Amino acid sequence: MIITVIGGNASGKSELAEDMLERLAEDEKKYYIATMKVGNDEENMERVKKHRLSRKDKNFVTIEKCVDVNKALEEMDADSIKHALLECVSNLVANEMFFDVSVRDKDETTKKVISDIGKLSDKTDNLVIVSNNVFEGGNAYDVYTLNYLEALAKVNAHLSEISDEVYESVVGIPVRIK
Amino acid sequence: MKLIIGGYSQGKLAFAKEKYALSDECIFEDELPSKEEKEKLVSENKTIVIHNLHKWIRKRIKEGKRAEEEIASFVNSYPNVIIICDEIGNGIVPMDPFERVYRERTGRILIDLAKESEEVWRVVCSLGQKIK
Repeated sequence: MIITVIGGNASGKSELAEDMLERLAEDEKKYYIATMKVGNDEENMERVKKHRLSRKDKNFVTIEKCVDVNKALEEMDADSIKHALLECVSNLVANEMFFDVSVRDKDETTKKVISDIGKLSDKTDNLVIVSNNVFEGGNAYDVYTLNYLEALAKVNAHLSEISDEVYESVVGIPVRIK
Repeated sequence: MKLIIGGYSQGKLAFAKEKYALSDECIFEDELPSKEEKEKLVSENKTIVIHNLHKWIRKRIKEGKRAEEEIASFVNSYPNVIIICDEIGNGIVPMDPFERVYRERTGRILIDLAKESEEVWRVVCSLGQKIK
């Protein structure tokens, strides 16, 4: 089963995604694949802290993979049922596209992210994917941001195709769109 | 409580007015009613409408106030309330730190209000979609 949850900033999408994976996994082991690059950014640290707190009682095993998310499989128990939450694709696409001082082309970024997530979904029994709706704030951006938006949009469209269910989180309410 | 959300200029207030037959004296534009105004409307058992809640949140954050607690205590004290607010979280993360805080706190307030609401409507091109 693959479920995608998309939503804007502070729309409650993480909590919904966590609850969905919990329902699928019940008491079995759950992996949380975290893609956010924390670095020394205070705001990001705060964000990570908030997410960790929200997961605290949900018994997730956290695997940090800011790029190459398929490699999270290497850190999961072999030959066991695998339930995983991937959070979130908007960070993943940014990390795959912009690294150090270089930039990966948008089509290559799209291809790589789709392929990595595909490897992950092939080998997991239940995968809940969180992505971001960043597309409704206009388009008065520089070319890098526009390339990023296009890559993320293509990845999102692909995710909805491979997902059994797709939800949009609106003020914490899951609105089913597939 | 009822919550009506949607993008900028989508006809949320017009939708609310038509659906709930609201009179103008009940509608507060990006502010909460004063104690006196509230008492009067409560005594008449009128619905109180807070329109453009996001603008009120923005003001309160700028003034260093606890918007979360203020709005929670307001709706808890009188549930016959309709809150109308723009959805502002569906764009690229803003460069400006204040804008990020504003977006984050507005989103969280809406999640909390939605939990307490008996109805939540999302308005797109003047059409209301009931999501709760």
